[in-house]
Amino acid sequence: MGVRQAISDWIFRAQAPEAAPVTLVQRRIFILPTRQGYYFAVTLVLLLVASIQYALQLAFLLTFLLGSMAGVAMLHTWRNLAHIRIRPGRCDAVFAGDVARFMLSAETPSQARFAIGARRHEGEPVYADVTAAEPAVIPIPAAATRRGVLRCGRVELFTRYPIGLFHAWSYVDFGLSVLVYPRPDPGAGSPPQHSRSVAEEGIPVPGDEEFNMLRGYRPGDPPKLIAWKALAREQGLLTKEFSAMASSELWLDWADAPGAEVEARLSALAHWVIQAEDFGQSYGLRLPGVAIPPGRGEAHRARCLEALALFDSDRR
Amino acid sequence: MSTVAAPAASPHLDVRNVMWLIAAMAFVIAPHLGRLPAWVGLFCLAVLMWRAWIGWAAIHFPSVWLMRLITVVACVGTFAQYHRLTGREPGVTLLIVMAVLKLLEMRTQREVTLTIYLGFFLVMTNFLFAQTIPMGAYMLVCVWIFMATLIGFNHVGRSPTVMQRLRPAGALVAQALPLMLAFFLLFPRTHGPLWALPQDAKTAGSGLSDTMAPGNVSDLIKSERVAFRVTFPNEMPPYQTLYWRGPVLVRFDGTTWRMVDEPIYPRRPEYSRRGRPVQYIVDLEPHNKNWLFALDVPGSLPENTLVRSDLQLRSANVVNERYRYEMSSWLDYRYGENVPPSRLAMALDFPPDRNPRAVALGRQWAAEIHDPREILLRAMRLYNREFTYTLEPPLLDPENPYDDFLFNSKQGFCEHFSGSFALLMRAAGIPARIVTGYQGGEVNPLTRELVVRQADAHAWVEVWLAKDGWVRIDPTSAVSPLRVEGGVNAALGPIGVIPTLVAVDRLGVLANIRFLWQAANGQWESWVVGYNMQRQRQFFSQLGMGDVDWRTLAFWLLIATAAVGGAVTLGLLVRDRPPRADPSLAAWNRFCRKLARAGLERRAQEGPLDYLARLSAERPALAPQASEITRRYIAARYGSGATREELRQLARLARAFDPARA
Repeated sequence: MGVRQAISDWIFRAQAPEAAPVTLVQRRIFILPTRQGYYFAVTLVLLLVASIQYALQLAFLLTFLLGSMAGVAMLHTWRNLAHIRIRPGRCDAVFAGDVARFMLSAETPSQARFAIGARRHEGEPVYADVTAAEPAVIPIPAAATRRGVLRCGRVELFTRYPIGLFHAWSYVDFGLSVLVYPRPDPGAGSPPQHSRSVAEEGIPVPGDEEFNMLRGYRPGDPPKLIAWKALAREQGLLTKEFSAMASSELWLDWADAPGAEVEARLSALAHWVIQAEDFGQSYGLRLPGVAIPPGRGEAHRARCLEALALFDSDRR
Repeated sequence: MSTVAAPAASPHLDVRNVMWLIAAMAFVIAPHLGRLPAWVGLFCLAVLMWRAWIGWAAIHFPSVWLMRLITVVACVGTFAQYHRLTGREPGVTLLIVMAVLKLLEMRTQREVTLTIYLGFFLVMTNFLFAQTIPMGAYMLVCVWIFMATLIGFNHVGRSPTVMQRLRPAGALVAQALPLMLAFFLLFPRTHGPLWALPQDAKTAGSGLSDTMAPGNVSDLIKSERVAFRVTFPNEMPPYQTLYWRGPVLVRFDGTTWRMVDEPIYPRRPEYSRRGRPVQYIVDLEPHNKNWLFALDVPGSLPENTLVRSDLQLRSANVVNERYRYEMSSWLDYRYGENVPPSRLAMALDFPPDRNPRAVALGRQWAAEIHDPREILLRAMRLYNREFTYTLEPPLLDPENPYDDFLFNSKQGFCEHFSGSFALLMRAAGIPARIVTGYQGGEVNPLTRELVVRQADAHAWVEVWLAKDGWVRIDPTSAVSPLRVEGGVNAALGPIGVIPTLVAVDRLGVLANIRFLWQAANGQWESWVVGYNMQRQRQFFSQLGMGDVDWRTLAFWLLIATAAVGGAVTLGLLVRDRPPRADPSLAAWNRFCRKLARAGLERRAQEGPLDYLARLSAERPALAPQASEITRRYIAARYGSGATREELRQLARLARAFDPARA
C-alpha cells in the first residue's frame, strides 16, 4: 500500500477535474502484485524446489502452469480495468451525519468487466460488474460529517479479478461534490410566534387555522392537508388551504434560532425550513448578510437549505 | 435500466464459494484415498462435511482449543500409523490432514487464499505416487477447479454462476498452456536432487535384484510395469533371440544365487563374432541400480558405461531417472573360450550337503556320459518331459528347494528351471551360471517400438564348454517353448484385465486401441515423465542448437514469454473492440450527416421514408439521389440482406452524395 500510494501520489501530483467521459486508457492504468500475489510467488518457488528435488516432471509442469497462469492473469486483470468509460452521475445533497453517494457510471466497449471496485481515498470500496448491455452505476459512499460542500476528490477504480494476484488501478477526478445541509435539530421546536407576524405588507393575519378554501390536489401537497372527507364523498383529491398559509409569511430568522453556537442555530433553522415546507407554509429565511424572500416548493426549500449549508463557509 | 453496484461483500463468507473450495479439496485428495490408511479418508470426509455444515447452517466455527486437540490427535494418529512423521506416506498424510483442518479455521480472505495454495501442493503430492497420463489429466482438472474457486473468491460483489467460474478459469488454463510448455522444455534440469532424499521419496523403480532364489521373481512377472523400451533403427532381430542380459549370478549357497564382484575390463573386450551388429536405442525406466540391459555381446557402448568380464553392462551412475542409451550388440559370437580354469572354479562350486538328490543326479550323469553336450541334451529332455510351467508353483522345502522342485513338485517357471539346471550342470562338472534379465517384449505395431515389461523378466543359464566358451541354455524353453517365442502371456494365457479383453477381441479393435494407448504412453514417458537433463540435451541437438548454456535458455524463455504475452494481450484487445457498425447503417449515417450540414437534419422520430418524403418536398432537386440511397438502405437493413457488392455500391452513393451540388 505504501509504495503504491507513493507512486500514485507522485504521478497524480495535481490534476484539474477532468472532462467527462474518461476512458481508462492503457497509460492511466497501474498494476502491481497484491500481498496474495507475493504469497503465490512463494508458493511457486516452493513448488519449483520440490519439483527439482524429487525430479518430478509433472510437478515441473504444474509449477510452470501456475506460473504462466499468474502471467496471463496479470493481463486479464489489466484488461478487466482497461478501456472502461467513466461518467459522473447526479449526486444528491444530504444532511450532515448521513452518507453521501457520489455516482459514477461505467461502460465497457465490448467484453463484460467483473468486480470493478471504486473507492475514495482510504474509503470503503464498492464493487460492480459492467456488462456491454447496460452501464453500471457505482455509488461511492462518503460519510457527510459536516455541513458545507463535500468534495469527492480523486476516485480510485481498481480490480483484482480474476484470481487476486494483481491489483490494477486508475484514478479519475471529475471534481464531484455534494452539498451537506446542516443536520436538522428536532429539539428546536417551532419557530417563535412573533416571526409569523412580520408581514412585509402589514396585512393583518387571520387565525392560523381558519379554513379558507379547497383547491385541486397538487403533487407534493402534504398528506395532512388533503381533504379526506371530500375524497370519501368521491369529490376527488382536494387540498385544504388555510388563510394563514395563503396570506401570512413566515420569516425564519437567525436571531430567533435557539442556541449559542453557529452550528446549533443552523440546525434549528434547517429543522424549521423542513417543517415549514412540510406544512405547506410560505417562508423566508434571514441570515446575517443573506435574505431569501418567502416562497414555497422543493426549489425554494433547497435554496434555503443551501444557504444554511454554505453559511459563513468562507470563514470556516 | 442500469445495474447498481453491490456494497462491499465478504466473498470468503459466501457459502457457494466455500462449497467450491470443499469440492476442490475433495477432488484433489480422492486419488490418495487408495494409498493411505482408511482413517485418513474418513477423517477428511468428516472434516469437509463439518465445514460444509458450518457454511450451510451458518453455525459457529470450532473453538481454538478444539482445533488444537483435533490437530494433535491427527498428528498422533499419523505417527501411530507409520511410527514417524517424515517420508512419503506420513508426509502426505500430514499435509492432507493440515489442509482440510485449515478449512475449519479460515475466517479471512487471506486464509482462504493460503488454503487454495495449499491445494496446489496437494496436487503435487499426487505426482509422488503416479505420473501417468490419466493422473496428469485429472490433476489438470483439479487445477481448473481450484482456479474456478479462486475466481469465485475474487469476484467481489456478487457470487458468480458456475459458468462464470469455469469459463474464465478454463481460459486462464488454456492461455497458460503454451508458456507452460516452453518453460517445461527450456527450464534447465539439474542432475540429481538439491539435497539427499529419504529412500521412499518416490515410487522405487523396482526391477531385477542381484540375487535369485526360488520364488522371488514371480511377483515381478505379474507386473505390467514397463522396464524399458527399445527402438531398432534398422531391423529387429528374431524375437526368440531377444535375451536382454542383466545381472549374472555365479555364487550359490544351496538356495540363493548371487552376483560376485568381478574385475571390470578397462577397455572394450574383443570377441570373435560374425555378421553385423544390431543397432538399438534403449529407454530404461529408473530401477535404482547401476546395471543396464543389452543383447548378448555389446559392440559400441554408450558413454560412462563399462562391460564386465561376464558381459554385464554397467553404468557409472545409479539409474534413478529415465535413461536413454544407444548401442549395438553382436548376436552371432563366441566368447570365453580361453578363460583360465581358475576363473571357472567358482562356476563349478556348490555346497554338496544341500539338495543331495540333485547333486547325485548330476554326478550320475557325469559318470555315465562323457560328452558335456550329451549331458545338456539329457537334461533338456528331462525338463521337456516331466515339468510344467506355472507362475503359481507350490512352496518348496527351504533347505533343499531344488531337490523338492526336481523330484516332487515339478512345477515352476524360469527361476526354478534355470536354478536347478545350473545346479545339475555344476554337479555334472560343467561350469554354469545364471543370467537374469528380460526376454522378448511386445512390439507396438504403430510405433515399431519394443516394450519390455517386468512381466518379461527371465532367468536363463550359461554353461561353459571347451572350444565354444560360454553358451546360452534356456531350460524354460524346453518346458514351455512358447515362453521364449511368444512372451510370458503366450505361455500362460493372458493375465490381468486388458490382456483378457484382448483375448476376447477378435476383430483387433481393442488391440489397436491398446497399442495406440501404449504408443501415447511411450511418448508421455519419453517427453514428459522422463524429460531430464539428458533428454533436454537431445532435444536441443535435434533442434540443431548443439550445446546450450543457461544464457541461451534464458534468452529463449524471454522470447517465449514475450511471444505468449503478446499473443494473449492481442487476443484480449481484439475481443474487446466495440462491435463494428453495420456498413449499410454507416452509409446511411453519412448521408444524414451531409444533409444535416445542409440544414436538413433528420428528426429523431423520422423514419427513412418520412425523411425522404420531407426531403423531396423541400428540395426536389435532391429527390432522385436521396430516394436511391434510401431505397438501397431499406433493402439492405430491413430487407432480406444485401450482397457485399450491393453494400459497396450503397457506400459509394453515400460518399458521392453532395446536397450542395444537386
